[in-house]
Amino acid sequence: MGKEKQPGELVQGTLDMLILKTLTRGPMHGYGIASVIQQVSEEVLRVEEGSLYPALHRLELDGIIDSEWGVSSNNRRAKYYRLTALGRKQLVKEASNWSRLAQAIARVMEMA
Amino acid sequence: MKKFLKRLRRRRQLDRDLEDELRFHLEMKAEETGDVPEARRRLGNVTLLKEVCRELWAFAALESWWLDIRYAFRTLAKYNGVTLVAVVALGLGIGANTVVFSFVSGALSFDPGIDRADRVVLVSATDALGQDELSRYDPDLRNFRSQVKSLEELAAYRLSPVNWSDNSGLPERYVCVQMSASGFAVIGRQPILGRKFEAADERADATAVVVLTHGLWQDRYGKDPSIIGKIIRVDEVPRVVIGVMPAGSRFPEDTDLWIPLVQGKADNHDPSLFGRLADGVTLAAARNEMDTIARRVANRSPNTLKGPAMDVGPVLEMYGVYHARPLFVVVLCAVGFVLLIACVNVANLLLARAPVRAREISIRIAIGAGRRRIIRQLLVESAVLSFGGGLVGWLLAFAGLRWFDASMARFPKPAWFDLSMNTRMFVYLAAISIGTAFLFGLVPALQLARVDVSNAIKNGGHGASGGTRGRRLSGTLVVFEVTLCVVLLVGAGLMIRSAVKVYGTPIGVNTANVITMRIDLPEAKYPRPDDEISFHKRLKTRIESLPGVEASAVTSNLPIWGQMDFSFEWEGMPPADGGRLPSVGGLVVSRDYFRVMQVRPRRGRVFADSDEVKGSPAVIVNEALATKFWPGEDPVGKHVRVARHGTAQSWLTIIGVIPDIHQDFQDPSAYDLLIYLPYALEPQLSTFLVSRTRVPPTTLVKAFRREVQSLDENLPVYDVRSLEDRIAQHHMNIGIFVALFTIFAAIALLLASVGLYAVVAHSVSQRTREIGLRMAVGGTARDIVWLILGQGFARLRWG
Repeated sequence: MGKEKQPGELVQGTLDMLILKTLTRGPMHGYGIASVIQQVSEEVLRVEEGSLYPALHRLELDGIIDSEWGVSSNNRRAKYYRLTALGRKQLVKEASNWSRLAQAIARVMEMA
Repeated sequence: MKKFLKRLRRRRQLDRDLEDELRFHLEMKAEETGDVPEARRRLGNVTLLKEVCRELWAFAALESWWLDIRYAFRTLAKYNGVTLVAVVALGLGIGANTVVFSFVSGALSFDPGIDRADRVVLVSATDALGQDELSRYDPDLRNFRSQVKSLEELAAYRLSPVNWSDNSGLPERYVCVQMSASGFAVIGRQPILGRKFEAADERADATAVVVLTHGLWQDRYGKDPSIIGKIIRVDEVPRVVIGVMPAGSRFPEDTDLWIPLVQGKADNHDPSLFGRLADGVTLAAARNEMDTIARRVANRSPNTLKGPAMDVGPVLEMYGVYHARPLFVVVLCAVGFVLLIACVNVANLLLARAPVRAREISIRIAIGAGRRRIIRQLLVESAVLSFGGGLVGWLLAFAGLRWFDASMARFPKPAWFDLSMNTRMFVYLAAISIGTAFLFGLVPALQLARVDVSNAIKNGGHGASGGTRGRRLSGTLVVFEVTLCVVLLVGAGLMIRSAVKVYGTPIGVNTANVITMRIDLPEAKYPRPDDEISFHKRLKTRIESLPGVEASAVTSNLPIWGQMDFSFEWEGMPPADGGRLPSVGGLVVSRDYFRVMQVRPRRGRVFADSDEVKGSPAVIVNEALATKFWPGEDPVGKHVRVARHGTAQSWLTIIGVIPDIHQDFQDPSAYDLLIYLPYALEPQLSTFLVSRTRVPPTTLVKAFRREVQSLDENLPVYDVRSLEDRIAQHHMNIGIFVALFTIFAAIALLLASVGLYAVVAHSVSQRTREIGLRMAVGGTARDIVWLILGQGFARLRWG
């Protein structure tokens, strides 16, 4: 399936990390997570719903995040996700991995 | 795992949650953009999204299988005509395969009751040396055993049926094997009770002993362990029971008991030798060594040897079922063809349905089903179909085997014959059911999954995947089908031809109303030839006085039941090459044998009272022998001499020529050369009693037994059957295969024609529009019919 890469498409494997990082701000529903990522990245990163929800469910099954049903700010029933202890550890690991990778890529790209 | 089960229970809840979550997302989005359709579009393929999430919950896989199966049932119910045909076709194929498998597996898993049977060999002297020569030189094998290195153990055995009498129950005839003590070492199994033979048991002055098979111990003594130490009269010799062998151990075949082969006894001639190959020794090496030793033996005798003296062959080849293997393979192939035809047929039916389903499948693809998923769905459908086929097949197989078993009830079954519905058969049934599902399901599934989505939806299925390619594919399948069918028909034809040859060849006697039974006089009680002659004379008088009995006689061999071998010479015969005399078949018969068989002499006369005197020199020959040795001459009055075991008779006179009777039935088109000796000349201990009756022969069995036992209460009468039954059993062997082939070919023909019909009908329905057009521009109905027929024949021709 040779789909062409769109600008703003996420680098593979980073969505989990972004979700975890976003959840450090506190419990959040799926729509909220997508919006935060979009805002903070200044509209560069767009989270596709087709990947977001499967990712959330997978993380939940792995015990990295937890969920409960709550009421949203506009009084609607919504599913809120939050980090578990395991999730925090996972985030630290993935963040350090990422920064190492990013630096490495940067060094290669800045090669004279 | 626990979590998994919890999720499984809560899966509806989870489903609703997902729904809610996505709805919430959609609403938020709509609120933000103020545009509901846009929001929906942005959300993308919701069905796919849900599907992906569900799959995450692990059981989704399980659930989707369940859904597939339910959906398959619904679809199949919808197309019930196609389903019915497919299930019946598969049922026939699978059923036939299961039946054949139960034959073949019984035959191939036959256990001769020998430990590591592939290392056990039969050792035999070839013609050049002569078994007698060998046993004269080394009757107790002592010389051989001390010299042979390539065999771990070497033993001799001899089959000798015995009469068994004890205080419990009637005297019975059992298959007894005289065997050297080392024989049990070769067999390699330990007794479950008591001990086996030891070297000391072989001595002539040792206490006579006997070892029982499990079967005899169970049937006659109800597994009574106190049997050890009891004394039984075996052929009137008291013997101590010393051991019982485990179930299944019946060396060489169908044995009931073993007694030691006593050393130095005169009647030890003609033993068969068997041994176990030493570790790492090949068959060829053993053959070489035995040959070398045998040549040393032969060098002491005046005749010089040409060619190999000894042969060493696998013991497994001794069992008939191993020789039948190629035939089993042929039948297995034939029935495999039937299943293949059934598969092709069903594949064709599924292909024919393809255009109708193309639309449905296109829609499923359009709303997000992956192609793998579609293929899986279609294969599940095939699996459900073949499961149905398996069920029908099982029922057919069950009924077929029951019927077969019932129709065989009057014949004794070979040891390997096991037609019960066992686990092995179920595994096989399941395996071929699944296998066929892939075989017939894969092609149509792949074909359908390649459907051109937009085209199929637009055209409502017409011309989508049922296009040229689909038609060509199903055409090819039909060609294949017809080819297989032709192969089967040819096979069935050949089988029937050879069967007709066997059935059609007259045996040469009137088989109706003849009862046959075996009587074996124990040598211990009837040591002199005169005892045997007088016993049979008295028995004949008693039997013939029974109401309903016309005539009675004894014979050494029944028609198609083999013969004895004699070397033969006649007065004035030119000396033969190398001093070897021609060999002829011979029967020893009492006076009224030809009257019982209703055979009239072609020349001369049959035996009369005057030939019943001991030492009477009269013999009778058959036409085949007469024309071979005296073409165009009258053999009556000629003098001949026969020899068996090297001892020649005095000169005998031919008194008559009788028409040919089949004795050996290997080749029904040729008759053996036969000579008939009067019973008084060559009395036999082991005989068949044959009697012509005026009433249905089996009604007299009890009376016959009573007469025999009134002469000798310890003498068993066994193997009592009408001559017709024996012939029928003989014919049955080929009859089974003929019947199987014919049934397979019939099924194949039926399936192939259904398949052809389906394809032609389908292609006609596909071309309705084209045909309509042809009619409109002036084509007549006749033209159209020719067009269709032409296409049908084009396919047949390839087949």
